[in-house]
Amino acid sequence: MNLHIRLEAAKNALDTLIKQPVATFMTVLALAIVLALPVGLFAALNNLQQLLGQWRDQAQISLFLHRDASAAEVQNLQVLLERGIGVASVRYVGKEAALAEFEHHAGMTAAIQTLGENPLPASFVVELNPLAQSPSELQTLVAYWGRQPGVASAQSDLHWVARLQAILALGKRAVWILAGLLAVGAILVMGNTIRLHIAQRRDEIDVASLVGATRAFIRRPFLYQGLFQGAVAGMIAWLIVAITVTVLQGPVEQLAELYGARFHLLGLNSGQGLILVAASALLGWLGSRLAVGRHLDHTFS
Amino acid sequence: MIEFINVTKHYPGRHHVLREVNLHLRKGEMALLTGPSGAGKSTLLKLLLRLEDVSRGTLMVNGVDVSTLGRRHIPAYRRRIGVVFQDHKLLMDRDVFNNVALTLQVGGLTGRQIQSRVRAALEKVGLGDRAQDLPAVLSGGEQQRVGIARAIVHTPEILLADEPTGNLDNSLSTEILDLFRDFHHHGTTVLVATHDQSQVNRLGLPVFHLEQGRLHTPEEDKA
Repeated sequence: MNLHIRLEAAKNALDTLIKQPVATFMTVLALAIVLALPVGLFAALNNLQQLLGQWRDQAQISLFLHRDASAAEVQNLQVLLERGIGVASVRYVGKEAALAEFEHHAGMTAAIQTLGENPLPASFVVELNPLAQSPSELQTLVAYWGRQPGVASAQSDLHWVARLQAILALGKRAVWILAGLLAVGAILVMGNTIRLHIAQRRDEIDVASLVGATRAFIRRPFLYQGLFQGAVAGMIAWLIVAITVTVLQGPVEQLAELYGARFHLLGLNSGQGLILVAASALLGWLGSRLAVGRHLDHTFS
Repeated sequence: MIEFINVTKHYPGRHHVLREVNLHLRKGEMALLTGPSGAGKSTLLKLLLRLEDVSRGTLMVNGVDVSTLGRRHIPAYRRRIGVVFQDHKLLMDRDVFNNVALTLQVGGLTGRQIQSRVRAALEKVGLGDRAQDLPAVLSGGEQQRVGIARAIVHTPEILLADEPTGNLDNSLSTEILDLFRDFHHHGTTVLVATHDQSQVNRLGLPVFHLEQGRLHTPEEDKA
């Protein structure tokens, strides 16, 4: 196929869109909003995941040791813990250190002194990334550590991790379903728009067909129209998400500070943005293809 | 060049539009197709353009059975034919140049080739200085000339015209039909459907007369 024919069709498509700026703008904006919704949710999930990543140090497991645990058992256990998947740090807290910590936090020095003997056991405090493994794998790991020689009991606060991971998985699936439905919506919006363009240019299509135009020749300008509008809609959707992130940035940072954390909202990176533009252009092309295909089946039948 | 062999055309549930039509037009020949409205003239031309399918019989063009052409081959077949309509079928939002250029654009010619050929075609029909005008500002005769320029710009082997002078007065009709005769003199096979008896008499060309779907050939008329 000659390049000049494609260029001519592309020019033809652009001319048509520019000649009807209001209609083109409204179509593109409708598509952009349809696309911005799932993309915005996708960005929100990304941010949630980032937030969870920051909380990894708060996932702690405490392994309390028997009072008569030997030094070899303690050493073997430390090696085992350090090899665990997702383990960020392993800290040994001796009996004295545990007591000092307890006194510091609870302020019960007098009460402890009445006991005469330090009642607190030595322990290991393991900090790990809760997202490194599935919740069930984490539970299994903790149970395994709890069965090791010298370990009296294991305490973990991993239930919230399981819940959060479940919510995140649910959110991801919901976003994909929503994205799928809205993609169908985008195809229908574009198909309907192209159908109107076809109706406006019915005479031209009929005459072109009479003088020997192929289906591809007639179809091409409409496909380019869908492609161009889809691509521009993708860019606007990217812009909408970027503006939303910028607007929310200040309040989110303030909220994070109230919890003593620092959090920076993320929008789409350039790779994700380009994928959005390409996917949007593809949806526009697909919508046009369906609409023009149906018309040509009728014209050429 | 064009051969109808016992061609019948009917639509489901309706009467026969063409019955056992036999017509033979040699390469470079020009003939007129006459008959009253509804006689089947337009249908015969539509069969030639493969806008309609033959119900029975064989239609050969340049040795090719037109009814067996696959859907993909029809555009290329149509590009070998020029066609002129009574209502011109011009695109009113395009200027004269671009109306004529459409035929060459679908043929995949480059901008430079299109430029020179369209200019030449417009000169041929006497509209060399109207290339930038919109069809709406042209007279009926001029609009028909644009239609003719669009039909001949790619130098087709066959030129078909369906009542090309239907909306024109007598002097304009004479001009238009003389244009067709010029193309015929340059070797194009021309078939013109008309019901203008004065022009038929004036031109003295072979006449195929259709009456209620049946064709009367020049030989039959002589007999």
